[in-house]
Amino acid sequence: MSEKKKRPVPVPTVTTGPFWDGIKAGKLLLQYDREVDAWQFYPRPGSLKTGKRNLEWREAAGTGAVYSFTETYVPTAGFEDRTPYLLAMIDLDEGVRILGNLFDVTAADVFIGMPVKIAFEKISEDAEYFCFEPA
Amino acid sequence: MVSNFLSGHDVGIVAYGETRVERRSGRTPYEFAAETFEEILTKTGLTPADIDGFATNVPHSESVNQYYTPYVCDYLGVTPRWMDISDHGGGSALAAVSRAALAIQAGMCELALVLCADAPSSSWRAGNGGYRPEFWDPTGIQGPPGAFGLLMNRYAAQYDLKLEALGKLAVAQREGAVLNDNAYEKFRSPITVQDYLDSRMISSPVRLLDCVMFADGAAGVLLTSREKAQKMDAMNIVYPTAYSEIVNFNGAEAQPDITETGFSVVGPEVLEKAEMTPEDVRMFHPYDDFLIAEMIQLEETGWCGRGEGSDFLIETDVSYRGSLPINTGGGQISAGQIGLASGMTNLVEAVRQMRGEAGDRQVSDPANAMVTGIGVIAYGRSWKVSNAMILEH
Repeated sequence: MSEKKKRPVPVPTVTTGPFWDGIKAGKLLLQYDREVDAWQFYPRPGSLKTGKRNLEWREAAGTGAVYSFTETYVPTAGFEDRTPYLLAMIDLDEGVRILGNLFDVTAADVFIGMPVKIAFEKISEDAEYFCFEPA
Repeated sequence: MVSNFLSGHDVGIVAYGETRVERRSGRTPYEFAAETFEEILTKTGLTPADIDGFATNVPHSESVNQYYTPYVCDYLGVTPRWMDISDHGGGSALAAVSRAALAIQAGMCELALVLCADAPSSSWRAGNGGYRPEFWDPTGIQGPPGAFGLLMNRYAAQYDLKLEALGKLAVAQREGAVLNDNAYEKFRSPITVQDYLDSRMISSPVRLLDCVMFADGAAGVLLTSREKAQKMDAMNIVYPTAYSEIVNFNGAEAQPDITETGFSVVGPEVLEKAEMTPEDVRMFHPYDDFLIAEMIQLEETGWCGRGEGSDFLIETDVSYRGSLPINTGGGQISAGQIGLASGMTNLVEAVRQMRGEAGDRQVSDPANAMVTGIGVIAYGRSWKVSNAMILEH
């Protein structure tokens, strides 16, 4: 019998390495464009506003609000045991949007605009992934 | 006045072909392409050697093959002098037709076949790179239904979303599929609004009957210059008379309105190019991966205001008998989504209707049609490709 498919574990790239180093250290690091005072996510090789490769990594507060959410009834690999589960688009206070699982709240209680903060989940021997919970 | 390379009615569609939609057929995209090719050759009396232009889509079932288009040509015995492949996702068919028209205008070819095929329910050989393996797949998001769950939930928070309006659209399209011999067999029985409401939740608030289902099949159109079309004695020439596309809409915005899409640009623009208003459109064949996407297209193109799509759908007869027929062959939602060949399904139905060949679901006075494409889910936004085409006689 073939082994059950597991939840994918991210493999950092040259572009995303600092982000995942941050997650491992319990920090949310985001790209910041000092020239136009704008944050961006997901990580990219250059600024979405200017095209320049002058971005710096800065630690974000890890707080924000639910922009939208969905409760998933058909699990993807590795999520079978927690179905149904909540996923949300979070608008972080720095001004970027990020997709993650929402824990410690039920679908009946979650609402658009609900304040949340980042949390971390161990997803393999040596990998952590970000998620969110009510603030 | 916006410029319009199709305003001269100088390139026309002279034939179309389409296979039945099948599930887990065990067949390849080459097989389906050959079936549609044979139909078009039979209808026109042409041979493979006559085709000097060829364009297609990237199929899920063969996207590991970086030489897919030359391979299809090899399988079909075609020797094009112009060749193209489109990776606009569900917008690929319209994008390919627009490029084929340009190639004919530029003199690169005379008879261009746009033939879209895919068989993802038999062979899934697709992979997505970029941000997906790190920031999308590990979250457990249920692909397109998950993304549209997020979009639809936000829409419902911002506007007045009436589920019975989406149900009514689902029922109207299903009626078309019942009358469409090429629709997936299991979808060829009527449904009610209650069936829609009762269908199981996939990724809330997206239900099973909000979604398309992947299937196998092919469809295509043959384009040529007006002069050549008339020499071929092709009756019922259907002319693409306007085309617009936008890719990566709101792409540099960090927190855009997820319910706003590229159709806010290309919907009004393609009508302006054709010198039409929404009221002039006889029938609408919108890309239908999810019902909510059709409602948003109606709003952004201008049939009604933002957030008024529910009332518009409740008040309007969108069946083939109605004032604004929508996806009369069932669309993809009720005929099945032939992978990334999907954009061709609704285009072929529009051409079939305009030629008066739609049988029991024929729209009366099929003077024109608007057809659209949607491609590629975006991160934190709606979708990446929006395109639209107007067809006229």
